[in-house]
Amino acid sequence: MSQLTREHIRDLMGQVMKAQGKTLPDSDDADLREIGFRSLDFSELALRVEDEIGEELNFDAPGLRQIATVGDVLDFIERLQTL
Amino acid sequence: MTLAANRIVVGGAELTWDDLPGLGLPSPAAVLVESGADALAAVREHALRGTELLVAAASRIDEGLREELRADGFAVVRPGGEPLAPTSRREPEPDRLWLLTSGSTGRPKRIGHTLGSLTTVRGPQAPRVWLCPYSPGTYAWWQVVTLSLTQPGQDIVVIEPAELEIWPGIAAAHGVTAASGTPTFWRQAIYRDLQALTQVPLAQITLGGEPVDQAILDQLRGIFPTTRISWIYASSEVGASIVVHDGRAGFPREWLDRSAPDRPTISVDGDELVITSPFHGAGLDGPVHTGDRVEIVDDRVVITGRLDSDEINVGGSKISAGVVRNVLQSHPAVAWARVTSRRSPLVGRMVVAEVVLTAEARSTGAGNGTAPVDNAALVGWCATRLPDYGVPRLIRFLDEIPAKETLKSDV
Repeated sequence: MSQLTREHIRDLMGQVMKAQGKTLPDSDDADLREIGFRSLDFSELALRVEDEIGEELNFDAPGLRQIATVGDVLDFIERLQTL
Repeated sequence: MTLAANRIVVGGAELTWDDLPGLGLPSPAAVLVESGADALAAVREHALRGTELLVAAASRIDEGLREELRADGFAVVRPGGEPLAPTSRREPEPDRLWLLTSGSTGRPKRIGHTLGSLTTVRGPQAPRVWLCPYSPGTYAWWQVVTLSLTQPGQDIVVIEPAELEIWPGIAAAHGVTAASGTPTFWRQAIYRDLQALTQVPLAQITLGGEPVDQAILDQLRGIFPTTRISWIYASSEVGASIVVHDGRAGFPREWLDRSAPDRPTISVDGDELVITSPFHGAGLDGPVHTGDRVEIVDDRVVITGRLDSDEINVGGSKISAGVVRNVLQSHPAVAWARVTSRRSPLVGRMVVAEVVLTAEARSTGAGNGTAPVDNAALVGWCATRLPDYGVPRLIRFLDEIPAKETLKSDV
């Protein structure tokens, strides 16, 4: 399984936002609720990551409870790839 | 029976039913054909001798199905080859015809008919030259074939699988005035060579075999302003049951639960289409649950797709793949779309799509002459017409409209 860099994941996250007519802020501290990044967006990001790495990701909703910022999303996907 | 003296164009030759060769078929026979001419020769033999017959394109019958047929008493015949004897013997059923369902939801089923139950057009007809692009032995193929076999003035031009990409040229050369095909078949024709399509002198266009959406009806109306455009709901199980001529997708709501002698009765059970039809296959009298899903939108009943695959559950919210497909296909730059779902850990399923852009959008890289048509543009189009969970999140762009031998895309 190939592993994506944090920059690559951020780029995919930007594509998800762009498709929704939004822009991903540069700051990792940006609040997901404020930028309008919702669970459907997170799910889309997961599909895009799966397509890049050629493997399914496995996680559930409780694992996402602590995710509040852009940086949290990037951390979470990075961590998923190492499981 | 007397065979109508109609013209048949097949494999580049012009002939009549009487010119077709005898095949000397045993009964019952399953005739697996490579060409339209062989399929018609088998039909002629059935019409003259009452041979119990199943005819199908050889490519549709795998080894398992072939052995099943032999075990059920059929000799398996490949014209020009040695027949395979049945592995179990039984008395033939005179005048019986067997059709295979398309098998899009599993293994093809065998449905019993007769020439009488397949002949749904009986009144006097205006003379027509019909295109026959369907795979031999399918219900839609039988509809065109029985018309030519029984009604005077109904010629047919058979299109072989290898000719599907160039059918408009063949149709124009032989003066085809009526053509029946799936929405995918018509989309392909528009996409491949619109100029060639406009040269076909069509007085009648029929769509069926797949859900028929408003966008394809409108496109065809734009290309053929004076042609009668109809869509038909038909299947091997219930026959031709719904025929709509008003140029709109779906059928009028007031048609539900109306009963009249010798007419199908159409009902809805939950969100499933239920039909009681005089044109049903053997043993299928009474209400038949079709497995097709419907939605009632204002005054119309719209068929959206197969019940077991149309509904997508996104985090507990349900959306019809057919409804999403219709929204995508209503975009002026979209020639064709398929909507499915993908497993997603967080919300269960996510709506995804495959799209073919129109030749114009592909050549200019733009839709409506302004914005480029990309993933974001189509997502934006859908977002203003669908709930957020119904918007396809990943859209793959294909170069060609895919279609199977059944002329369907399995949408």
